[in-house]
Amino acid sequence: MATEARILPPREIAPRSIVRSALLTLPIMLWSLLIFSNSYQQPNPSVLLAGIITPVFMTALFFMMMRTSSTYRWRRWFFVSLGLLFPVGFIHQVMVMRGSMGIPMEEMIAGRTPFCFLPMPLLILPAALTKTVVFPGSILPGGGMSGGGMAAMAGLWLAITIVVGKGWCSYACFFGGIEEGMASVPRRAKLWKIDPRWRYGPWAILLAMVLLSLALFEPAYCMWLCPFKAVSEYVAAHNTVGMVQNGIFVVLFAGLVIVLPLLTKKRTQCAFFCPFGAFQSIFNKTSVFDVKIDRARCSSCTLCQTACPTMSLTKESIAQGMTLMSCMKCGACVDVCPKHAAVWHIKGTEVAVKPERARLMLLYAAWGMAIMFGGTIVAEGLATILHVFV
Amino acid sequence: MTDSFVFGEALVLGLSSGPACLASCGPVLVPSLLAEQSGMRLGARYLSTFLGARFLGYLLFAAVAWELGVLVALPPAPRLLLIGIIHVLLAGVLLWYAYSLGHPHVHSCPVSELVTIGVERKRGISGPAALGFLTGLSLCPPFVIAGVRAAQLHSVAAAILFFALFFVGTTVWFLPLVSLGCVRRNEAVTTVARMAMVLIAVYYFFLGSAMLMGRNVYGH
Amino acid sequence: MKIRAKLGYTAAGLTVLTAVLVPFLLSGLFTKGFAALGLHVDEVYSGGPKVRTVKTADYFIDVHRPVSPHMLQSEKPFVQLDWRPASALPGQVSDAVDIDGDGQPDIRVSFDVPKDVKIPLRVNVEALNPQYEAMRNVGQERFSKLIVRVDDAILVRIPQVH
Repeated sequence: MATEARILPPREIAPRSIVRSALLTLPIMLWSLLIFSNSYQQPNPSVLLAGIITPVFMTALFFMMMRTSSTYRWRRWFFVSLGLLFPVGFIHQVMVMRGSMGIPMEEMIAGRTPFCFLPMPLLILPAALTKTVVFPGSILPGGGMSGGGMAAMAGLWLAITIVVGKGWCSYACFFGGIEEGMASVPRRAKLWKIDPRWRYGPWAILLAMVLLSLALFEPAYCMWLCPFKAVSEYVAAHNTVGMVQNGIFVVLFAGLVIVLPLLTKKRTQCAFFCPFGAFQSIFNKTSVFDVKIDRARCSSCTLCQTACPTMSLTKESIAQGMTLMSCMKCGACVDVCPKHAAVWHIKGTEVAVKPERARLMLLYAAWGMAIMFGGTIVAEGLATILHVFV
Repeated sequence: MTDSFVFGEALVLGLSSGPACLASCGPVLVPSLLAEQSGMRLGARYLSTFLGARFLGYLLFAAVAWELGVLVALPPAPRLLLIGIIHVLLAGVLLWYAYSLGHPHVHSCPVSELVTIGVERKRGISGPAALGFLTGLSLCPPFVIAGVRAAQLHSVAAAILFFALFFVGTTVWFLPLVSLGCVRRNEAVTTVARMAMVLIAVYYFFLGSAMLMGRNVYGH
Repeated sequence: MKIRAKLGYTAAGLTVLTAVLVPFLLSGLFTKGFAALGLHVDEVYSGGPKVRTVKTADYFIDVHRPVSPHMLQSEKPFVQLDWRPASALPGQVSDAVDIDGDGQPDIRVSFDVPKDVKIPLRVNVEALNPQYEAMRNVGQERFSKLIVRVDDAILVRIPQVH
């Protein structure tokens, strides 16, 4: 461990030239054009326009990441846009298809409930034991709101997770952007002291929901605890219990996604509640990219600890030069570190030797996934808004 | 139909119902097992206490219901009331147990490594025993199926023996849970387990309260 | 460069390559993989497979295999019947249906078919066979006891007595 006397000076990071930044951005620009190529054949002007604006937006953000060597604030622009535009496109679609955000029973029976990634960990044990998926959707496309079906969502999830691990929570999750946006609104946190044991919340909820889902053969989290039902869809309430369930969703959304992020400047739903996030943390063990702390440069200022939106840095972990398993690779700690001691890292390589190379490789992979998955959702939401005017 | 055939049936019924029993007891058993201190021996003691108390719950209910002749004929409304009361009690015990685990200097017995509920050991109720007893009374479907069959037997002794063999059949499925004792206990594991117990307790409390009010929790 | 570093960079390079392959190959491959696992949606939701069709003058009645919920599910065992096409149904339907195929009608199902599809449906079921539960003026009570319109069919689920 480095002592005070041996702390190295901050790493020199000069901004890249515009030309060099543009060259590094070129693959991403080509990738965007490829992903959105279908939009350019659309007769619908709002879809066409969204298909132009979105790749320009994503490419511009990547360019700024290259130019400024900063990741977090540019990624956040995309992620907040995703969080805000997903409900726009989704709610519009459900209103057009069935006139209500409430899922009627006929839709569940017909297997047309859209499948979200959040209940996936809960469905594993019942499926493994009985080959039954306890979700009222369709395995393959079933029409209506079922989209590509559960197999498609599972396939997409697996592919993206192989690439980014828990980076899903920073580059793919279409719910997290709302609270990330809320957390970035105030200049300072009003609630400073948060008991670090709340970080175990997602694991506790995951354990409880997995056990209850197996006991009752239903997706217990979707039935009782998902805050994002407030901005997507929910089971239409026919009785008191249904109303209680929907009340819980609204209260959790208001508390965990709006109020607490405003007070704490943390992604409180993600850090203290989301069981899918806990499940996804396991894949940080398989991901080749991570964040390390260069102990030779770290002055223990703990700015990184304060900046981390999910409390994935503690004094102990910083002393060990690493983040916790819950790190979602958002880049906040790397960008805030005044000594540039927090660095992107490829497992197996030496810490802080060419960290920019690690960053570039991570960003090509993660941003590629962001464009493919989140970008198309952003475009859909944008097209919905543009349709009003165009 | 010979006795050995009937009792063989009890064992097979238990073996086939075991996964359902495990799934039914899982929300109570797994977090409380994880919240205890680690060690296979301690895990085995916890599990055997839980299962023993669950067995007592089974037998008690079986004997009383057989004598009263109500096991088969128990109508839905009183059954719902009974299950509701048990769920609320289970929730209370889970909450208190989760609290006790966080304050071992008050509640732990110096001789036994198992955390007890209650201030003094003599008046204390072993946590796993309380939880096991209540889950044993909870009238889960496999239990009811066995109960219906047992009620057709010629004597209360035969009914109790039937339940005992049924119980042995289900217990086989619980044995792998002893391996949870191998999981290293640190602040993370015990905190997660206690939080999960609280969450599950809240769920059982809600479920039990709804049943006591005669509300159908499931169904739209 | 040490071997570990070489492996690390190789893995990172493969990850970037994997990202490129996701939309063109991997996502579809994994989707097919999941679809090939042989999983099926819980029959409490889907209603179970169709086993027989009864033909009447103007429409069909599909009889599904009885669904037995998993032991701890709160739903009751039920059987689903589909009347299709809904557009060919008369204003009032009253049919005696043989569910188990023994030649004897097991239930009589009666419901009105309003022209306006938004009007909620209600069904009465008379249990001719005590295995099935009678229903009176039932709408959408629960997954095991309901009447709903799905596309061009009207589905009725009748609980079985334990």
